[in-house]
Amino acid sequence: MAGFITLMATSTKSSAVKRFLIGKPIPTSEDAHQRLSKKIALPVFASDAISSTAYATEEILIVFLSLGAVGMAAYSMLVPISLIVIALLTIVVISYRQTIFAYPNGGGSYIVSKENLGEYPGLVAGASLLIDYVLTVCVSVAGGVAAIISAFNGLAPHRVQICIGFVLLMMVANLRGLKESGALFAPPTYLYVLSLIALIVVGLYRVFVQHLPPIEHTGEAQHLLEMQGSVTAFYFLKAFSSGAVALTGVEAVSNGVPAFKKPESRNASTTLIWMAVILGSCFFGLSILAQHLQPVKDHEGIIPNTVLAQLAEQVYGGRNIFFYVTQFATFAILILAANTSYADFPRLSSLIAKDNYLPRQFSNRGDRLVFSNGVIFLSLASIGLLVAFKGQISALIPLYAVGVFTGFTLSQAGMVVHHYKHREAKWKAHMAVNAVGSVTTFFVAGIFVVVKFTDGAWIPAILIPIMMIGFKGIHRHYTRVRSFLLPSDDYVAPFHTHFVIVLVGSVNQGTMQAVRYAQSLRPDRLIAISVVETAEDRQRIDEAWIKFNLADVELQTITSEYRDLTEPILNRINELDEEYDDDLITVVIPEFVTSVRSQWLHNQSALAIKARLLFRPNTVVTSVPIVIP
Amino acid sequence: MGLKNIVKSANKGIRELDAERLVDKFADLNLTPLGEVAVRTKVKVCGEVKRMTMKPRSGIPSMEIVINDGTGQVTVIFSGRRHIAGIEHGGCLAVEGVAYRERNNTVFLNPVYTLLPHGAE
Repeated sequence: MAGFITLMATSTKSSAVKRFLIGKPIPTSEDAHQRLSKKIALPVFASDAISSTAYATEEILIVFLSLGAVGMAAYSMLVPISLIVIALLTIVVISYRQTIFAYPNGGGSYIVSKENLGEYPGLVAGASLLIDYVLTVCVSVAGGVAAIISAFNGLAPHRVQICIGFVLLMMVANLRGLKESGALFAPPTYLYVLSLIALIVVGLYRVFVQHLPPIEHTGEAQHLLEMQGSVTAFYFLKAFSSGAVALTGVEAVSNGVPAFKKPESRNASTTLIWMAVILGSCFFGLSILAQHLQPVKDHEGIIPNTVLAQLAEQVYGGRNIFFYVTQFATFAILILAANTSYADFPRLSSLIAKDNYLPRQFSNRGDRLVFSNGVIFLSLASIGLLVAFKGQISALIPLYAVGVFTGFTLSQAGMVVHHYKHREAKWKAHMAVNAVGSVTTFFVAGIFVVVKFTDGAWIPAILIPIMMIGFKGIHRHYTRVRSFLLPSDDYVAPFHTHFVIVLVGSVNQGTMQAVRYAQSLRPDRLIAISVVETAEDRQRIDEAWIKFNLADVELQTITSEYRDLTEPILNRINELDEEYDDDLITVVIPEFVTSVRSQWLHNQSALAIKARLLFRPNTVVTSVPIVIP
Repeated sequence: MGLKNIVKSANKGIRELDAERLVDKFADLNLTPLGEVAVRTKVKVCGEVKRMTMKPRSGIPSMEIVINDGTGQVTVIFSGRRHIAGIEHGGCLAVEGVAYRERNNTVFLNPVYTLLPHGAE
């Protein structure tokens, strides 16, 4: 308890620091729901999905060049793979359009699968999404930092530190309550889309009209190109699954349907299609460009420049203003993409916590109306992963996407059940669409786990079941506590004989205040206990007790043969407790509250006694604070 | 004293250690052990003062002494006074009187008492 009081005393100071970082608290009444137009909603919800074009092509190339060692053959594979990815994107988007209409209040994978498929699939979806949001932060931040490092190669040794810095920055910004505001999201997203389109259009013009030659490589890159491996089905699937990360973030629109202006579902579905068109065409364009310009990247980060940076440098003829604008826009959209996780992770964790599968703290909102604990947890988890994987995207990619596609599969399967249950107009056709989506994404998820198992896909494959066990354990505990505490119709709180014990060290103002307080409780029995060492101590305390008119309260003095203070007091309390069957014991302890500086000089024995009494049944411990200015 | 005994004594709680000490201390007096005091018969017992209480008993001051001889403990009440010279923590007391039960305690009300300033001598 002394520690708690110390905390209270310091809280005035620590809250000043918190106020400076987080800002002043917002009242709940200001929690207005902001509605977004389509032009604003596109950058807000699509930044995550569109940003994946910044690394998807690169990841395909890494698999072929660095892992598969197929050399020049890699470039002929780019366009076929991107076509398959675009086909997949189309299937997923059409499926999700139906979710948007069926769940106008927001239908994340967790909600849809929990409602339609039951508890366990819902939890699988929840767990995989939570993992995924953490990875979105990691991958996007790592990608954004990679874009900076491509522009300023000198920063390469500090990659991890820069990543951590940005995560911390986002944590503070989100604890302040960064709204999904268009003013923040729109410029970087549109800048990125424009610079990407410019790069593709200018690039294709220079390749096909001006006959721009491929990038010239030296050193490691040249070495990778000289490899002569053949393209096996295994590496083809592996490259495909790397490319499929372009689909991450597609579900964001369906989660955020209520944030759209009316008619919500129609606007959301239009936005989803715009997003898919932008995503698909940019990805396809980049693949064609990369096929002709032949950028090279390895999986260990020996080549510092990203594929996008290499393309921009070649297309714009060196490191000029256009190159830097492209790099900056890439960096900005990736940081924004990471930031969408900061909106989604706390929201999802609060939903799961409300269903009692996560600690309740996740559903508490902080000073600025954000789910602060979710924000902090997400940041710490991301930092942990970034440190563990040294800020390398390609190391994180295999962990990613498994969860995304698990989420897709379950959500689509949930939609199939939803259509079957509700049987609205054309339900058979809708059900078929979702069934196709579900089966396709299920196969893709399966391919991921198989071809990338040893690269890290085993981590989510193990983590998701572990998280489920955790969810269930928490749920069981909360259920048990609730059913234990649930009052039956004729429940009356039991009567207790109230027994108050005041602990007395010496007779002073503090003791007198504590005794007066104890008397005000109107207990059935009130005694004061003091541990004395010598006869003189006993005499002094007895005399003071009479002198200050406390003698109408029983004072017991006990000795401690072995000089210990805690043990005799606890023994005495046990003895007193045995005298009645139904008693409730309140132990009143006077405590001195001084400045933080000198607090540790006081209350040490009180702290020890309190620590021992904390778990004693039927015992209330009360501190009477004696404030010493 | 074998190793077994050392281990045994290391595991003993403070209460047990104290009880052993008290049993040894009063062994020579051959009085009724406190653990075997029968009510409503005159007995003579002794023990070390373990707790002293000043309390108002129906408005008049009284003092309660708890003595312990290692086999058990009894409460001795002296009414009308707050303190008796010579009765102190750690001191020993022989008490002669008739006991009664009050809640879970054995109580002697205003018994004849003898101070045993040097323990069992």
